[in-house]
Amino acid sequence: MFDLEQAIVDWRKQMLAAGISAPAPLEELEIHLREDIAQQMQSGLSAQQTFGIAVKTIGQAPELKREFKKTGAPMEMQEIIRLAGVICVAVALFCQVFTCSPVVFAFLFAHGLKVSLMTRLLPFAAWAITVATTVLSWKYTHKLLPVIHNQLLRRAIGILCYVGCLLWIRFVLLHLPKGVAENFSLGNFLLVTFLLGSEWTVMAILGGIGHGLEKAVSKKAAAIDLLAGQS
Amino acid sequence: MIRKELVAASAEPLVLSLLSKGESYGYAIIQEVKARSDGKLQWTDGMLYPVLHRMEHRGLIKSRWGESETGRKRKYYSLKKDGKTAMAKHHEHWMLVHSVLAGLKKEQYV
Repeated sequence: MFDLEQAIVDWRKQMLAAGISAPAPLEELEIHLREDIAQQMQSGLSAQQTFGIAVKTIGQAPELKREFKKTGAPMEMQEIIRLAGVICVAVALFCQVFTCSPVVFAFLFAHGLKVSLMTRLLPFAAWAITVATTVLSWKYTHKLLPVIHNQLLRRAIGILCYVGCLLWIRFVLLHLPKGVAENFSLGNFLLVTFLLGSEWTVMAILGGIGHGLEKAVSKKAAAIDLLAGQS
Repeated sequence: MIRKELVAASAEPLVLSLLSKGESYGYAIIQEVKARSDGKLQWTDGMLYPVLHRMEHRGLIKSRWGESETGRKRKYYSLKKDGKTAMAKHHEHWMLVHSVLAGLKKEQYV
């Protein structure tokens, strides 16, 4: 037995899978599909026949996605916040690679054989932890964050995160201990490694939160769309 | 069947001209174009929406969510001032092409 509602849900899933994930275009397309089906059913065709015709006339998902991409819509605030998150994490990751490694190598070179294996490994471990934290925060933050439905609050938190990034970097740069280069004590060195590492890690985490809040909402919205269609 | 390129090029002037009669929604626009061209202007229905969105972002038309008589949700589009100007330009250009073609055709019979 043909289930029209289920068929529409499946069609919606196909569209989502093909990348037409923005709620507004997909909703409009579904409304059109339903109008077309309702209109054609008046002429005596079965639900299955009308659904087949309507899906064919509305067009293929990849083709539609290509056309929607050309719309050149101005960036919405949500996209700007998400992009800012991407930039924060990318900068943090990039800087971690370039900031910490030279410090680590300079320290090892300066101390050569005088330090134990454990001491030599410590900075590498610290560096690996900061990189891992960045990657993990990027991948999983949105799963841990609550879904904040209040758009204004969500955006305010996002913007605060990015402002926080800038303030934190400024704080670290201004508070780097002076004369570290001349005095390569282990304590000084670990402090610098920690500050440089944490500078970028904090930036990555804040960027991940700003981006993750928006991502959490859009993931939830896509899930609700699917569930609403199934009910 | 009319060539795809011509159908695509005519979409914007046709939508603008239809909306100049009053606000309308996607499905009705397609039906009216079909009816007025005796079904010869066949759009892939879904393709109308990217066109409408593009025109909206260019400030030619505006949209609002509303409801049909039966309570069904619909997105209505209407013409903006810039849309009227764009429509006048389209008419001018298409009439020019039409008059050149008509003139050339006429000469063939002289």
